[in-house]
Amino acid sequence: MGRYDLAPQRVHTYATALLATKRLTTPPPWYDTITSIPPAERLTRPPLQRNQRSGGKKASRLFKPLRLQYEEDRLRWEYFNDHPWELARPRVVLENDGKDAEKWDWSVPLDHALRRPRSGGESEEGVKTDEEWDRIRRSQSRRPINGEAVIQRQSALQRTGVPRSTAYDIARHELYRLRHSQETEVRVAREEALATGAFFGPGPNEIGMKLEDKQYENWRRWAEKEIAGIKQLQGSAYTGQEAEAGAAGGDGSPEGRAEVEVVSQSVPGKRGGQEAKGGAGVHV
Amino acid sequence: MIIRSLILRHGRLALPRYTPGRTLRRCYASQIEETYTNPDQDQQYVAGAEDATKSQVMTAISTQNSIASDDQVARDWEFFHHQKAVTGKIGSEVETHYRPHELLSNPPSPRDITLELLMASQSHIGHSTSLWHPANAKYIFGVRGEQDPIHIISLDVTAAHLRRACKVVSGVTERGGLVLFVGSREGQARAVVNAASMAQGCHLFTKWIPGTITNGQQILGKCKKKVVNHRDEEVKGFEDQLIQKAAVKPDLVVCLNPLENYVLLHECALNNIPTIGIVDTDVNPTWVTYPIPANDDSLRCVQVIAGVLGRAGQEGQALRREGALVGDYPPRQDHGLEPPNEVEKDGSKQDEAERGRTLLTAGDA
Repeated sequence: MGRYDLAPQRVHTYATALLATKRLTTPPPWYDTITSIPPAERLTRPPLQRNQRSGGKKASRLFKPLRLQYEEDRLRWEYFNDHPWELARPRVVLENDGKDAEKWDWSVPLDHALRRPRSGGESEEGVKTDEEWDRIRRSQSRRPINGEAVIQRQSALQRTGVPRSTAYDIARHELYRLRHSQETEVRVAREEALATGAFFGPGPNEIGMKLEDKQYENWRRWAEKEIAGIKQLQGSAYTGQEAEAGAAGGDGSPEGRAEVEVVSQSVPGKRGGQEAKGGAGVHV
Repeated sequence: MIIRSLILRHGRLALPRYTPGRTLRRCYASQIEETYTNPDQDQQYVAGAEDATKSQVMTAISTQNSIASDDQVARDWEFFHHQKAVTGKIGSEVETHYRPHELLSNPPSPRDITLELLMASQSHIGHSTSLWHPANAKYIFGVRGEQDPIHIISLDVTAAHLRRACKVVSGVTERGGLVLFVGSREGQARAVVNAASMAQGCHLFTKWIPGTITNGQQILGKCKKKVVNHRDEEVKGFEDQLIQKAAVKPDLVVCLNPLENYVLLHECALNNIPTIGIVDTDVNPTWVTYPIPANDDSLRCVQVIAGVLGRAGQEGQALRREGALVGDYPPRQDHGLEPPNEVEKDGSKQDEAERGRTLLTAGDA
């Protein structure tokens, strides 16, 4: 084949040929191992797409990788379209041993932590509800409660027969309750801390404003230099002989002529050359 | 919660007075008797829980009678461990979870390769679909993403290829082959060095100097070389022959980032050296003899693969050493060395099996 070098695949064949022609006296240490474990097949393209309807698409699409689609994708599309700022919330995708998803039970509501039953209560079957709640909390408290949790909860409800829109409403309202309680806790904790003497540094908004102010100052200094440069260029267009300056003087006004006179002493065309004035010197 | 140092700082009266030689039966009515354990013993391995994905070794905790010593430092040391034993179980039980350093300090072995481990190590995440190499099509499970689609590598394919590579590494090391582990990306150095030390091979974590194999006489001419026998004992008498000799070429090369080391892989192909490499979706799979379709950008994935291959090399080396003790060793390799001109005892020439071993150092130019 043109651009492919298949020498790595032919390592064993080449060594066998060398041994047969006595170029090599002893086989290399890897020879026996590679004899028993041949390399995998390369450069084959099996059909990857699912069964197509006969006489349908062109054949080249058959050998391209499959586009993976799940039912939850549609639910994710709806949820994140309705709550765009949920995408801004960071999500931890680190896994412990790859079986993390099997531990979560999505039939348990998302705001289960807020629904602790009265202690000592019993359900109809005689199950102690508070102990049941404790038991569920012990395993399900580590569930990540985010947009993805809403989708999984919705799927779990749909599997029990609840229609899609109702399941969506139930799941997202559970999330709202939990988020509301979390935000309240944070606010109350902050107020308590302030009341007991804590002080907080600048928040992200304040820090952002300070950074923006710094950038604005940088821009202002740059802009001043640019204006000075532009004025210099404009002024240099009107220098030369005084007659010329008078005739072609842009403003014609006494200020314009004064500006021109100031600049005319230091233009590149003149014999003296241009003296370094920086930016501010040209300002009148 | 720093319980231990607090107790030490504020005095030892927080705990019952410790007298050496007395067991702590009084402190625990319901618990097993706590005995002071020797701190020098290797206690890295934690008892595997039900959801542990790797078989972890439990070392026996030996019971030792504590020695009463006059030295204050020795007594403090003993007290520290007694305190650790007493207070160690207090507090919440932290279940087994992913600890990044364990992939380097205690890498998984080939029998721990599971699809869950590979997925947790992010080995299924490929590159953007527009950057792929079409020869990798059969390793790809599917495409994920709408705006910026990426390829997802098939985990069963990864597992199968990784197991095959492990068998190759253990087979080569069992027959006395030299394995070179190469990984030049940032963060791969420790994994490469660990794997090489387990397989008793060589490592390289900096740039491969082009010509190190094809122009070995020049580039590695001055590096240290030695001749060892089947029992890994150095054999003297070859020093003058080794001066002019080029460094020994590796018998197997494991490359953790083939995209940056294509020169190395090409040199191996020219010299008929088999190679193993992590082949991402944008890598040409024909560059290596044994591809491992996996994610070469994830450090966790690279550490898992390097660790597993290093363990395979370790197993091969153990088998070879056992065989050498019994007298079952691979045939002598031909390095073009003449037996030294000394008066040998009868039969010792036949017993010796020459095997050249060199240290391939990357920094030498």
